[in-house]
Formats: sequence, structure tokens, C-alpha cells
Amino acid sequence: MSKNNMSDTLTWLKTAPGLSIVISIVVAVAATIDAGPYLLVNMVVTGGMLALVATGLTLMLGVLNIPMFAHGEYFMIGSLTAYYIFTPISGFIMEHPDSWLVTFGPFIAILGALIGGAIAGAISEKLVFGPLRRRSTDNWVMNSFLLTVGVSVLLVNLHQLIFGADFKGIVGYWQGMPISIAGAYISLDRALAFVISAVIVVLFYLFMTYTRTGMAIRAVSQDITGAEIVGIDIEKIVMLTISLACALAGVAGGSLLFMYPSYPTVGLEPLYMAWFVVILSGLGNILGAVAGAFMVALLKVITMEYVGAGWDFVVPSALIMLILIFKPSGIFGSDVRGVLDK
Amino acid sequence: MEPTTNDLNMNLFDRALDRLCLTPIGLAGLILLLLLPFIPPFNQEYMLRWLIYCGFVAAMSVGFDFTAGYINIVNFGYMAVAGTGGYTSALLVINAGLSPWIAMLAGGVSSAVLGLIIGMISLRLRGIFAACLSWFFGLAVMGLAIKMVWLTRGPLGLRTPRLFETESNVPFYFLIIILVYLTYLICKWVVRSKMGLAFQAIAQNMDAARTSGINPIFYRVFNFTMSCAIAGVLGGFYAHFYGILTPDMMHTSKTVEILAVAYIGGRGSLWGGAVVAFPFIFLMEIVRSTLSHLPGLNLVIYALVLILVMIYYPGGFSYFYDTHIRQPKNRALRYFLNGREAKI
Amino acid sequence: MLLEVKNLNAGYGYLQILRDVSLQIDKGEYVGIVGPNGAGKSTTMKTIAGLISPMSGSVVFNGEDITGLSGSAVAKKGISFVSEEMNLFVNMTVQENLYMGAYTIKEKHLKNERLDFVFELFPRLAERRKQLAGTMSGGERKMLAIGRGMMSNPSLMLVDEPSFGLAPQLTTSVFASLDVLIKNGVTILLVEQNVTKTLAVTGRGYVLENGKVGLEGNSADLAEDSYVKKVFLGV
Repeated sequence: MSKNNMSDTLTWLKTAPGLSIVISIVVAVAATIDAGPYLLVNMVVTGGMLALVATGLTLMLGVLNIPMFAHGEYFMIGSLTAYYIFTPISGFIMEHPDSWLVTFGPFIAILGALIGGAIAGAISEKLVFGPLRRRSTDNWVMNSFLLTVGVSVLLVNLHQLIFGADFKGIVGYWQGMPISIAGAYISLDRALAFVISAVIVVLFYLFMTYTRTGMAIRAVSQDITGAEIVGIDIEKIVMLTISLACALAGVAGGSLLFMYPSYPTVGLEPLYMAWFVVILSGLGNILGAVAGAFMVALLKVITMEYVGAGWDFVVPSALIMLILIFKPSGIFGSDVRGVLDK
Repeated sequence: MEPTTNDLNMNLFDRALDRLCLTPIGLAGLILLLLLPFIPPFNQEYMLRWLIYCGFVAAMSVGFDFTAGYINIVNFGYMAVAGTGGYTSALLVINAGLSPWIAMLAGGVSSAVLGLIIGMISLRLRGIFAACLSWFFGLAVMGLAIKMVWLTRGPLGLRTPRLFETESNVPFYFLIIILVYLTYLICKWVVRSKMGLAFQAIAQNMDAARTSGINPIFYRVFNFTMSCAIAGVLGGFYAHFYGILTPDMMHTSKTVEILAVAYIGGRGSLWGGAVVAFPFIFLMEIVRSTLSHLPGLNLVIYALVLILVMIYYPGGFSYFYDTHIRQPKNRALRYFLNGREAKI
Repeated sequence: MLLEVKNLNAGYGYLQILRDVSLQIDKGEYVGIVGPNGAGKSTTMKTIAGLISPMSGSVVFNGEDITGLSGSAVAKKGISFVSEEMNLFVNMTVQENLYMGAYTIKEKHLKNERLDFVFELFPRLAERRKQLAGTMSGGERKMLAIGRGMMSNPSLMLVDEPSFGLAPQLTTSVFASLDVLIKNGVTILLVEQNVTKTLAVTGRGYVLENGKVGLEGNSADLAEDSYVKKVFLGV
């Protein structure tokens, strides 16, 4: 039995997911020993948030067949919402340093970001995607993609028009002492940002796996006609999926506000990073997206450390292109929905 | 260009128009564009600058539509490809002392090579992932332009010599109009030949095209390479017109601008984007300069138009024109809009 | 009357397939629709199931007008559609697929009761409950599709081409399972290529040709009808 398990593990290690996960872990450990634990911390925090954005993106692509180009804008909406909720709260905290808001104020802001993202997603479905779906589903993937391009430009410039192009940031959410883990000091903000993303990803995974609604979402992604004939209300699931996907992006934007101040094009970086993840990990696979998110984050952090800031555009995109060329279905991708021309 | 079947029953003027892929109204429009710099208020230099930008977008959208409208692949790194041409051209002029005119063509060649590479590696990918690949390629190229400071001076930008040693914008204006028309003519010739049919066949269904004897690899790569070559030459024009070249020109948002014009103009028409670019971009420039206290308003309008067109009128302007304007009862008007039609 | 279809006209886009199709089904009946390829059998089913909205005509189920309702709304009324393509959720296990079939039932214990019933009907599915639907053989998938259709405890089942692409002995077992359902009081509307078989098992039948109802009557009479014999049975 145990021997069998051993050989199973060995075969798994030889597959693309196994190999890439092992290589990533080795690289992460080596780089941490070489450059110091802050690298690992950066990777974990970035990876956690990226996992949220990328899961949303996979959801949009896998369930609704919408290649979302505007996903970064919901990240932006989340950070903007959190900024406008947290600014008055932090003013209040300054005057009342003993208030319960010191601890819970940031959570209110982040919750606001989540709700803001969800509402923005629902509005987009009502005004943009829904009308297109009802008019025509010919050439749907390309048309909806172009539509999201329009939504992206619209939201970016509405932000600029209404709130201005300046950086709207905060000093930090929680003013506690940094936590020390194995000689590395991690600010409370970073630690909690990671905890928040971890909790949300786990909750989301449980939701998709075990609840009736989560299963309905998966059913729609696998066979939309099948979903309809068992009585799943497609319109409702579509609306819910878009809100969920955008809420995930929004909460990522909200909880990273201390790192990425809100400005019109703040969403571009999370967007293409999330796209890297989706290409890397294949479609319709939450766990794959999470693993992919940490890999892309590692790639980014390592590039910044060893090649230099600014190259984090170039090196990851080059690597992703290689993956697209040699393994178009992604590392964790199932064969059900490949990217190859059919 | 093969002779078309209706050559025999046409007079010389109609035949020339047909060969030049123009209708009488198209010719009139072209002449109007050429006269524009002498008509007030368009004879002011700042207006000419806008018009030149309109021309640039028009030509780019034709080249973009050649790929998007005919083989159904959105080249999402199109401005990065153009930027590559621009940088190649600028660097050749600055470092090798080449004439900007020759350098522009060299820029076209470099972009063609880039297009060849993107075309080759995106071959097996489904439409949206081919778009992603060209997007990532564009991001990487832009990243290189930013980071290779020793060569490109990074975000500071390159000072580039202009094509004409004059302060006036008029020669540039004529040149871009000629480029718009040439781009259109070359693309139109290609799609009028049997190659156009092959493009449409592989856009609809790669496998079916393959079984009917069309080599999709050749046509897809050819299409990609050609549209990138066009972008490269236009990028060279851009570099040698503005006199300064920054990596910003390769930004995705610039590609989106081209894309929006091409789709609002009507996919698969080639001329739609070119026609829409002039009034549309010009109006946007007016909005931008007169309402400068509302930054971004022009792009909001832009995005709204794109969204509305995509939802409610995906055929764009060219579809509207073809279905509602093109077939009037009046014979003279009909000739004006369509040229001599084939007698069957 | 359980289902009454009156003067139904339907099709895809501008292409009209059904012309004034009318049929009635009583509770507990086993009704078959036969006809050549392209006669509109599947279109009839899809229109009743709400996957295609009709151009005109009406569908009344249990005295309630369900014309033009969406597929999910029709499913909630108690009509279950087993399509020709099966439309299984290929990345879910057999058990998950079955639970999805009971999506309209909210109470957990009722769901489990249905699950037990289906497993009793198809012991093969019980053996494979943890297997992914996409990895099963054609016959097993067909069983799963029928089983999933049973999960919602429907009062009417529309079964489209259950023998399509199956080996003969599997066809027999699929038909046997439909017989069990009839004995359990389920009403079935069956569409089949296999005319002899259909007319042998069903009580009443409709012959569909070029989108119109050509003949209708008791299956036994239809099987003896000279026209049917000539056209479909080649006798």
C-alpha cells in the first residue's frame, strides 16, 4: 500500500503540475536562503492577492466564456471604495485611539471593497453583458472580449473624470508592531492581507465544491444546456458568477490599498498578472489558479530581485509565451476546454 | 491583381477606379481630404496636427482590420509592433545616419519579422488566446523599450529627426493621406485576390479550410506579417513626425484606440475604420482640448460608443452604410456611391 | 390530460421546422413519436422542454400554460428532458450529476430518497458513484442521463433517442429501465429512430413527417398500418 502510494507520488512528480510545483518550491527556497526571507513574504502576499483576482478571471472565462479584459478595473473599484470608506474611519481613529474601529475599521473598508466590486459586477452584467447575450451569441468570445475592452476604458476614464488621476492611498490599515517570523519582520497589514486572501480562497473553494449554488455554477460551466434542463436558472447563475468574480477582484484591491494606492490604471498590473496565471494554470480549475498565482508571484519577485525592477514586465511574459507555445492548455489545464483551435 | 470580369463593359475612368478600389464617392472623399489643408479652419497648424493623428489612426485601423476582420484574430499588441518599427527606424537614423525614408521601410521590415514570429507561435491557438499572446508580446516589447535605457533612453524618449525639414505640418499631412490610401489599396488588393477567400475560409473554420486544400499556416502567417509590416512603416512615420518617441506609444491603451476605431468603422470592411477615424478622432481631439478641465471625458465617450456599437450594431458603420445608404433609387446617386456595377 | 400541445410552430431562427404539431398525453401513458430523420422529432421535444421558444401555438401542462417558458422554468414544473446529447456534467462524479438532477428539490432527505430509487433502478450507477461522468462508457452515460432525469421526480419525462449509438443489448436494458419507470407511474414521451421497438413498447404513437403529424393512434394499430409498414419498416 505505502509502496503504491510512493510510486503514485513519483508519477505525479513527473507530470507537468508536479514538476512545476516542485521546481517553484525549490526556487523559492533557494532564493529565500540567498536573498533573505522578505522575498518569501513578498511572494506569499502578492500570490495570495493574485489568487483572488485570477480565480475571478477563471470564473468569468470558465463559466461565462467571457475573456475579461476589464477585471483589473474591479480591482480598482475595490481599492477606491476601500479608500473612501477608510479615510473618514482613519480620521475618527486619530481622535479616538481607543475606539473599536482601530481594529475593525479596516475590515469594514475591505468588506466595502468586496461589496463594491460585487455591485459593479452586477451593474456591468445588467447594462453590458446581459444585453449582448440577449441580442446575439454569435462569435461570443471575441465580441464579449471587445466589450470588456470598452468597459475597461470606460471605468478607467470615469475614475479619472470623477475622482482625478492622483494617487489615493493610505499609510496603512493597522498600526501595530510588525510580526517577526523566522527573523523576518512582517507588517501587520501584509500579514492580515495574506490571511484575508487565504480565508476567502478557502471559503470560495468550499462554496464551489459543496454548496448547491456552487455546484450549479460548476454545472453551468460544464454544460449549459444540461444545467438548464435540470432546472438551474441560468440568468441568475450568470449574474451571481459575475458579481462573485468582480467581488473577488474588489476585495483584493481593497486589502492591498496600503501597497497599491488607488488611481485610474491601478488595475492594469493585477489584470495582466492574473492573465498570466490563467494561461499558466489552464481554465476552470480553482486549485490550479491558486497554485499558478503563487508561481507567477514568485516569478515576479525573483525577477525584481535578480534582474531588476521594471523587468517584471518582460521576464514573466516571455515565460508565459513559452508555456503558450509548448503547453497551450496550461500546466493544470484539463482537456475539456483547451485553447487550441478547434 | 487579376483583371475582373466586368472590365469589358467599363470605360477607362471606371476601370481605373475599379483597379484603385475606389468608388466615385471614395474618390471625392480622398480629394476632399487632400484639399482640407487649404480650407479654413483646417489650415491652422494645430488642426493639421490633429488631422495627421486622425490619418495615423485611420491607416493603423485599416492594417488592424486586415487581421481582425479577415482572419478573426485581434492583434492586441498592434501598437507595440508599430512602436518596434518606430524605434528601429529612429535608431537607424540616429546611430547609422540612414535617411528617415529608408529607415521607415527598415522599420516596416523589423515589424514584419516580429509579426512573423508572433504569427508563427500563435498559429495553433484559438482566437482569444492568440490575442493574449500578441498582447503579452506587446507588453514584453514595451518593457524592453523602457528598460533598455542605453539604447532607447527609456521613458525619457528618443529625439528623432523629422521627415521634412520644415516647421509646417502640410507635407506630413499629405504623406499620411497617401499612406492611408496606400495601406487601404494594398490590403484591398490582397483581399480581392483569391487570398481573400482563403482568409475568410480559415477565419470561419480552420479544419474545414485545411481539408479543402487551403494551407492555413501560410495564410495566417502571411496575413499577420503583412499587417505588422504596415504597422512598422506607420510607426516609422509616427517617430519621424512627432520628433520624439517614448515607450508610451506602445501602450495597450493605444492599441485599444485603434481597435475601437476599427470596430466602430465596421470589421472586415477595411474602409470603415479609415472613414470613421477622421470625424471621430477629430471630434475627440476637440472635446479633449476644449474641455480640458474634464480629463478623460473623450475616452469615456470613446468607450461608450464602442460598447454601444458592440452590443447594438456589431456590424459598425460599414454595415450601416451598406444596408441603408448604398442602394438608393436614383441612378446617378447610385453610380456615385457604388461606381460602375458589373453587368451580368 | 397531462400535456396538451396545440398547433405548435417552431424552428431555429428563420428556419421553421414544426408546422401545426398537436399532441395530447394522459397521465401514466407511454407515448412514442416516430418519423424519419429531420422530421422535427427532437425539435418537438426541445420546444416542449423550453429550450426553443415557439413561434406560435401553445403547450399546456397540468392545466397550466407553459408556452415560451425557459428550460429551467419548465423543469421546475415537473417536466424532465433526457436529451439525445445527454448533456451530462462531464467533470462531476456520477453521484454529483444525480444530485444536480434533483436541483429543484431542496430537502436533503427527499434528494437521498430519489438517489436510492435511481441506484436501485440502475445498480451499475451505484457501483460507479465516485467516477467522473466524462470517463464512462456510452451505455453508462445514457443510464446516467435517464437517472438524472428521474432525480427530480418528474410527472412527465421526455426521452430523446435513448438507443442512439448504443449496442443492441444496452438498448434492451435502457428500454427495460423505461418500462420500470412506467410501472412506477411516470408518464413518458419517447422519441426513437427504432420504429419497431418503439411501437412495440409504447401504448400510443404519433408519426411525424416534414414537421407535421401524419398519423396517430394506438401503437399496435400503427405497427400494422400499411403506410407505416411501407415507409418505416420496409415491408
